[in-house]
Amino acid sequence: MLRTSTLLCSVAIVALASGLGLNAYAADPIKVGIVTPLSGSYAPIGKQVRWGAELAVKEINAAGGVNGRPFELLFEDEEANPPVAVRKSEKLLQQDKVDLLTGTVNSGSTLAVGQVAERNNRILVTTVSYAPSITGAQCNPNVFRVNANAFMQSNALTSWLTKNVSGKRYFFIGPDYEMGRSTVSAFQDDIKRLGGTDVGSAYPPLGAKDFTTYVGQIRAARPDVIMTATAGNDTVRLLTQLKEYGILSNKLTLAGAAGAVTQENIGAMGGAGEGFLSAAGYSIDIDTPANKKFVTAFKKEFQSDPDLFAADTYGLFYLFKQAIEKAGGTEEQKLRAAMEDASWETPQGTKKMRKGDHQAIVDMVVVKVNGSDFQTVGKVPGAEAVGPDKCEKF
Amino acid sequence: MLQPSPPRAGQAPPPKDAARPTVGERLVRILYPSHSSATPLRWLALAMLALAVVFPLLGGPFYTRLAIESFLLGAVALSVDILLGYAGLLSLGQAAYFGLAAYVSALMYLHVTQSFWLVALTAVAVVAVFSLVLGAVAIRAKGVYFALITFGAAEILSKIAHNTRAIGGSDGLIGIPVPSIPLLPGVAIDLHNNVAFYYAVLCVLVLIYLGTRRILDTGFGAVLRAIRDNSDRVPYLGYNAFWYKLFAYIMAAQVAAFGGLIYPLLRGFVAPHLFGFEVSTKAVVMSLVGGVGTLLGPLAGSVIVTFLESLVGSYTERHLLVLGVIFIVFVLFLPDGLIGLARRLTAARGKAGP
Amino acid sequence: MEELLGYLHVVVLPQVVDALIIGVALALVALGLTMIFGLLDVINLAHGDLYMLGGYAAFTLLGWGAGYWSALVLVPILVGIVGWGLEELGIRPLLPRADRAIVTLLLTFGVSLILRDVAQVVWGTETYAVAAPFTGIASFADVFVPTYRIFVFGVGVAAIFATWWLLYRTRIGAVLRATAVDPPMVASFGIPIRWVYGFTFLYGCGLAGLAGVLLGPIYAVFPTMGHDFLVMAFAVVIVGGMGSVIGAVVAALLLAQVQGLASLWIPPVWAETLVYGVMLLVLVARPAGLFNRLGEA
Repeated sequence: MLRTSTLLCSVAIVALASGLGLNAYAADPIKVGIVTPLSGSYAPIGKQVRWGAELAVKEINAAGGVNGRPFELLFEDEEANPPVAVRKSEKLLQQDKVDLLTGTVNSGSTLAVGQVAERNNRILVTTVSYAPSITGAQCNPNVFRVNANAFMQSNALTSWLTKNVSGKRYFFIGPDYEMGRSTVSAFQDDIKRLGGTDVGSAYPPLGAKDFTTYVGQIRAARPDVIMTATAGNDTVRLLTQLKEYGILSNKLTLAGAAGAVTQENIGAMGGAGEGFLSAAGYSIDIDTPANKKFVTAFKKEFQSDPDLFAADTYGLFYLFKQAIEKAGGTEEQKLRAAMEDASWETPQGTKKMRKGDHQAIVDMVVVKVNGSDFQTVGKVPGAEAVGPDKCEKF
Repeated sequence: MLQPSPPRAGQAPPPKDAARPTVGERLVRILYPSHSSATPLRWLALAMLALAVVFPLLGGPFYTRLAIESFLLGAVALSVDILLGYAGLLSLGQAAYFGLAAYVSALMYLHVTQSFWLVALTAVAVVAVFSLVLGAVAIRAKGVYFALITFGAAEILSKIAHNTRAIGGSDGLIGIPVPSIPLLPGVAIDLHNNVAFYYAVLCVLVLIYLGTRRILDTGFGAVLRAIRDNSDRVPYLGYNAFWYKLFAYIMAAQVAAFGGLIYPLLRGFVAPHLFGFEVSTKAVVMSLVGGVGTLLGPLAGSVIVTFLESLVGSYTERHLLVLGVIFIVFVLFLPDGLIGLARRLTAARGKAGP
Repeated sequence: MEELLGYLHVVVLPQVVDALIIGVALALVALGLTMIFGLLDVINLAHGDLYMLGGYAAFTLLGWGAGYWSALVLVPILVGIVGWGLEELGIRPLLPRADRAIVTLLLTFGVSLILRDVAQVVWGTETYAVAAPFTGIASFADVFVPTYRIFVFGVGVAAIFATWWLLYRTRIGAVLRATAVDPPMVASFGIPIRWVYGFTFLYGCGLAGLAGVLLGPIYAVFPTMGHDFLVMAFAVVIVGGMGSVIGAVVAALLLAQVQGLASLWIPPVWAETLVYGVMLLVLVARPAGLFNRLGEA
């Protein structure tokens, strides 16, 4: 069902191309394996990743492909479950012989699949995972990241907050697992560095349904800003419950990780997320012609707004195109070299890959929730936000 | 095979004097099996083995490795069958031992040693201790409560793994090397070679199967089956059900642990999901699909379910739905599983055996 | 001393109040589970997914323009019917088997997988909000509680009371309790056992559906929400005594308090594990749970 649709797409394009006299597709396709959660609680993210990829591939193939070769997408559902992700990525690499891998969402999967990619001499690029360790302590020569990581988000957000919000009292909430804790600690370090006061933190279990335990703590701490690293349903419940209990008010600023409030969960919040601030590598209202074109095409194709996951995945394929053309193919060493030095155009502007840790340098935007829209309220240039290179393995 | 089965033909009649058997008598019963397996089952086993031997030559690296993984999960399914089909105990937490062995293996390789045998020994020891403690506690409970205790234990281990950053936390651990296993001086199995890996695992699995069958075909197994069928009566025959069940439980834990020991070597990482409910229940599904109480069934079921899932996953995200439907169909209409079905078909054709 | 009182007032008391409300909601889910086990020896692993269905049904009904109040009445009935269907089609054929406890557990597990996927197909994977019928906060003694939660508490208590009334003060209840103890005897009185079983499932699943509607506005609606409650509900049923109605209520309130208070002093993730530990402890020390089974003295 997933593959046949892509196949039909390619067949249709070939037919059209031959009809137009273009003989461009005699060459074999470049296969990209996308192992992403298509079911389960991360499915909304996987859906955006898929859409971003499909749109990019459609455009690139229609414009002649990569040196005449079309992209071909193969999807596998990893269910946000690392053992499954590893199995599926092996299938894509060894059975389907994909040239490139992408799509993993949670950091456990990215780390495990990155290892598989390395052992199969292929490259994995993540467009969603923002655990710093992926390009830090656990960096891998075969793994690249094109989205902003948690440190970058924190740098950008905290620098904007400390400049634009008068109150200095910060309360932190993060789900109690790797990602949550490291995001919160990034927030805490940056806030302290910039002169804010840490008035408390809470670590609810991942998937906690009731945050009322923390209400008393928050009330007692009297924060000016609440920063949260929750995502998806957890954010919905956190914010609606904070609203229920009257914690939210005009005097309180809500802020947090980019994944906390997105296209997928804003509808469920019923206004509780109003005014929520986050820093991301992308916002739908970025005012460049490239982004406008992207958003229009996306809406037309999928009847839905794109979010940062879609945009970053979309942009990735243009990186692939550029790198493959430069490397003259998908051979591992040449491709890696081409990607390490790359600087490419995306809907959100120019991204530059940092060679030392394979982290892309992305211009950050500070985004505010306004009704059911996301509005840019500030910008932080990539070089400032990116933070030091902490990868020592290559 | 979830229903009590009729007594097998050819079994030695119970001793006329139902007094407590002496140590000597017990030993005799253990060492000398009282009957042989039904012929159709042996046929099937040989056919499956032949298929398994030939497979890597046809399969290619991905399918060979998938088959290895299905063998490892098959070990967990086998452990479920030992408990369910023979002792009448449904364990919903065999993943506890799979995960435990996997984590011990991973941690040992990452921090302590590169010696396979040392790692294996440690895993065996840790699992033995755990299964002894948990088994002693859980076996006292009857039927459904046993299932819930085992489930709870696996969940607790899963949460501990998830919450403890020192052992990787929710991301798990990566970077487990692919070792060479030394067998004799100068002879080692290099696990980088997929085919060698496959045959090594197949070999061990066959040995485990034969060993298990041998143990369960003796008087020990007969007592277990008696416990499964009517545990209240067993003490009147002079047996203490508790020790029999405990031994079966420890044995089953070791079988499941084999799967866990090898998993990190195959996939290079461990994660809290290895303790999860999905693993435990999938093992039960595999047992059911293959045929509970046949020992072959779970192995067959494992291969079938693993490959089916891989196949289905490429065409639809609705794999849960497919799995659920298959499962329900088997529960309602094919409780004997596929091996049971095959047995009935061949028996109906008049071949030897009940 | 004053500090201690202050601490109790500001930190512990609100926690106790919250846990009380959660406990009542949990009791609703656990009640259905325990009734089904008490009467049919069936462990319904799909119970959490019926709760989920309740939430989704509420969302859909509200989307079609129905008011919250009509959803409150309709949804338990709808989910109850689904439960009844499950009993007729899936459970009933398996009841005569000797290993029914195990087999029905496996069956309901399969049903759970299917329900979850069906929910994703029908409603998609996003999270949805169910609008609460009213908002606002009440406060007493410096403890703040949203009025909707008080409402949930009230409805929950009413439902529990209604269940008690049904079981102990009506004829149907007497039949139910008798069937838990001795089905053939009840059948010999000319009472159709199949209706008794069907009704048990209908009622039990209806309670789960009610919980789904009530909690939708607080916890949001999404495909894996069934899991949230199921594990806790099992812990409750086990601790309280499988098949005991009083046990379910008492244990629900108790465990909710244990988890809530524990989160104050140990990291909340470990509070969850603690609840599991309590469950294991009870299973080991007193597997029958704190209270006796329905129908027994």
